[in-house]
Amino acid sequence: MRHSPESLTAAAVLALALLSLPLASRADDPPRLTFAQLVDSMRANFDVTQQIKAYAGREVEIQGFIVPAGPPDLSFFLLSRVSALGNYCCEIPTGQDETVYVYAAKGLKLVYDPLRVYRVRGVFEAGKDVDRTYGVSMFRIRGARVEEAVGARIFKVGETPTPPTKP
Amino acid sequence: MTVLGLALRYLRGRLVTTALTALSIALGVALVLASVLLTRGVEKTFMESATEYSLVVGAKGSPTQLVLSVVFRMDTPTPNILRATWERLASDERVDVAVPVALGDAYQGFRYVATSPAYFAAMPWRQRSFAIARGRFAREDSIEQPSYEVVLGAETARRTGLQLGDRFFEGEEMAEYPLTVVGILRSTGTADDRAVFLTLPSFWGMNEVARKMQMKPLTAVLVRAKRMSDLPALHRQLNLSQETQAVFPSGVLLGIFNLLGLAEEVLALVLAIVASVVVLYLFVSMYSAMRERRREIATMRALGARRATILGLVLLESCLIALVGGGAGLVLGHGIAYGGARLLASRAGMVADPFAVGLLQPAVLACVVIVGALAGLLPALSAYRVDVEENLAPLS
Repeated sequence: MRHSPESLTAAAVLALALLSLPLASRADDPPRLTFAQLVDSMRANFDVTQQIKAYAGREVEIQGFIVPAGPPDLSFFLLSRVSALGNYCCEIPTGQDETVYVYAAKGLKLVYDPLRVYRVRGVFEAGKDVDRTYGVSMFRIRGARVEEAVGARIFKVGETPTPPTKP
Repeated sequence: MTVLGLALRYLRGRLVTTALTALSIALGVALVLASVLLTRGVEKTFMESATEYSLVVGAKGSPTQLVLSVVFRMDTPTPNILRATWERLASDERVDVAVPVALGDAYQGFRYVATSPAYFAAMPWRQRSFAIARGRFAREDSIEQPSYEVVLGAETARRTGLQLGDRFFEGEEMAEYPLTVVGILRSTGTADDRAVFLTLPSFWGMNEVARKMQMKPLTAVLVRAKRMSDLPALHRQLNLSQETQAVFPSGVLLGIFNLLGLAEEVLALVLAIVASVVVLYLFVSMYSAMRERRREIATMRALGARRATILGLVLLESCLIALVGGGAGLVLGHGIAYGGARLLASRAGMVADPFAVGLLQPAVLACVVIVGALAGLLPALSAYRVDVEENLAPLS
C-alpha cells in the first residue's frame, strides 16, 4: 500500500500533536522530590538545607509506598521509600529522613495496596514539627492527593532523577 | 374535580394493581436503603473500633487473624508469643507504649481479655477513653497472688446479667478459680464492650498450662511508637524475626474494606437490576392502565379536556404510585435495617444505626418520584396522542 506525501505529512503532524499533549501536561506538574533528596537535605539538630526549604509551602510530588500508620480512612499515613511488606527485597528503612508524614485531602478515595508505588501531591513542609497525635516529623505533605504511580522508580541515596528538579 | 382528585380516583378504581405496583416499589426501595444503612454500619464499626496503636505484634501467621482476634475479638486468637517479646518492646527506646494482651476462652461467648493497666490509661494521642460506670478497675496483683478480679464491658454486663461482687466460672476445670466482678465499664461502642477484662497474673493463674510455664505466654503486644517515622523500621525488624509478626491494623482493615468494596459493587449491580425491574413493572402497569382507559380519555377529550391535562393526569398517577411506594419503602427499609442491625450486633458485635436519617432518605424518595415520572412518561405521551374519533367509535 502506498501513501501520498500529503497523507504522510498529515499523519506526522497528528502524531506530533498527540505526543505534545503529555509534554504539555508535564509542564504544569509540580516539582518531584525524591527520598534521596530528602536524605541529602538532613542537617544536625533537626535542620534541613535551604535548598529543600525552598520547596516549603509549594506543591510538590513525592513517590513512595504507603505505610498505613494512621487511621484506616488514610486521612494520615506515612510515605516511605520501602514497602511495609517488602520483607524480602529491600534493606531496613532508616527513619524520619526516609519517611514523609502525609495528611490527605478530605474525602480521599484510594484502593490501598502495600506493594504499589503511589504518587502523592500536596503542599510540602520541611523542618521539625511536633503533632499532638503523630509526634515529631521532618517532612510533611498536607492536603495530599494520591494516585497510583504505574511503573514508578524509587530513587535511593546517591541517585537523582533526570532531569534534576529546581526550586 | 381537580386533576389530583381525578388521579386519586383512577388509582382507587384499580386498587389491587396500584397496591401491587406500590408494593414492588416499596420492596425495591427498602432493599436499597437497608443495604446502604447496614454497609455503612459495618464500615463505621470497623473504623471506630480500630485501635489507636500503630502496630499489633503477635505470632507468625495471618495478619488478618491477628488483628480481627486482638482488636475486634472476631476470630480465633493466633498462637502465643513469649512475655519476653513484650519486655523487649517495652524497653525499646523507639517505643512509647507497649501493652500486653492475652486472649483466653469466653464466658457465655464474651472473651476473656487479660492485659495491663496501660490498656485503659488515658494518653494524649487517644481519642477513646475508658471509664468505670460502676465499681473499680481490677487491682494490680502478682503472679504469686493473682486477684482473680474482672472488669466487664458494658455489653457483657448487660447480656450476662452479672453484677458487682458476683463470682462466676464456666467449665468444670475453672471452678477452682472463680472470678469476681469488681467493675463495669461505660460503653465505648467498640469490641471492648463485649470483653471480660482481667489481669495477666489472674489469667496465667487460672490456666493450667500457663501456671507451669516459666516464661508466661501472651497473644499479642499493642505498640505505639514515639515517632511514627520509626514504625517502618520497627515493623520490618519484628517481621524479620522468626517468632513474631508486626501488623499495621489499618493496613488489615484497608484490605477488608477492599474486599467489602468488591461485595458492594456486586450488591450495587443487584440493586440496579432490582430497580430496573421495579421501573419496568411500573411502566407496564401504567401502560396497560392507559390502554384500558382509551375510551375514557377520548370521552374526556370530547368533553373539553386539553391534551396537556391528560398528559399531566397520567404522569401524576405514576408519580403518586412512586411516592406512596417510595415512602412505604423508606419505612420498610428502616425496619429491615433494624432486624439486620440486631443480627449483626448479636453475631459479630457490630453496631449499625438502623434509624440514621440524613440526606439519603430525601434523595432516595426524590429519585423514586423522578424515576416514577419517567416510567409514566411513555404511557402519558400515549394518552396525550389518543385519537378521539377513533376511540369513541362503537365497539361492535
